[in-house]
Amino acid sequence: MRILEFEKLESTQKKAKEIAQNSKAWTVVLAKEQTGGYGRKGNFWYSPRGGLYFSVILPKTKIEDLQILTILAAFCVAKILKEDFKLEPFIKLPNDVYVNGKKICGILTENIILGKEVKNSIIGIGLNTNIEKIPRDLQNVATSIKIELKKEVDNKELLKKILEELKEKLEIIS
Amino acid sequence: MKFTIKLGDKEYPIEVLEGEEEVKIKVGEKEFSFNKEEKVFLAKTKFEKRKFKEKKILAPISGTISEIFVKEGDFVKEGQKIFLLSAMKMENEIFSDFEGKVKKIFVKKGENVKKDQILLIGE
Repeated sequence: MRILEFEKLESTQKKAKEIAQNSKAWTVVLAKEQTGGYGRKGNFWYSPRGGLYFSVILPKTKIEDLQILTILAAFCVAKILKEDFKLEPFIKLPNDVYVNGKKICGILTENIILGKEVKNSIIGIGLNTNIEKIPRDLQNVATSIKIELKKEVDNKELLKKILEELKEKLEIIS
Repeated sequence: MKFTIKLGDKEYPIEVLEGEEEVKIKVGEKEFSFNKEEKVFLAKTKFEKRKFKEKKILAPISGTISEIFVKEGDFVKEGQKIFLLSAMKMENEIFSDFEGKVKKIFVKKGENVKKDQILLIGE
């Protein structure tokens, strides 16, 4: 597993799509901050420094299995939040994780399809970890681990854990 | 790699063995071997066939057409982005696998489509 780390990107998802064709499966694009992070339907994802933003280039997988993987990814994150951080996560289907009624994590899978063939699939995860302050207009809808627990978490360790879980889940379903 | 092919009521045990320079295919007790050059040639022949396939795009999965990047009469290249299909949990960027003119688009932006539904045909 190769992790490409960037100080700042417009979007890890966008970068991963650019390099997917020439990259090995399980290459990870990680950014300390994003200037144009986005979720489903192009919705903006607030991504200041402190949060964990990454996109994973997935191995070739059947499109139906990718759908299951996306749901499982939300379960993986929720499980870690509950078991390791004693938070009470709530999964809002299809793929957002909430804590105390506020969004803490968003997951997006994008497929590049040429005709009938899935060329590349990328799963992107934005997890609000060490974000100290949420702007006023998002305060009612978003939260972070730091706000909930009043302590910092190790982003790298968390990343490793999520990646391991994802890999395991994909092996089980495909 | 071992597998079995069933033709009618008869089963044939098949074994494929890959060596340094050749590929052996065993069917029961009979053995056929090919050198790797031949294998490359076969793969190429298969690739050429693509030229004769139908020019159409099907929905790879059920979902909603959220963007259409071309219109009827447009000339599209292979690898050009044609549709954005939002499925419940995924965004799918659908690119053309043919070069040609867009003859007909069967869907509108915002329309729900089923897996394998024809979205576009080219000529």
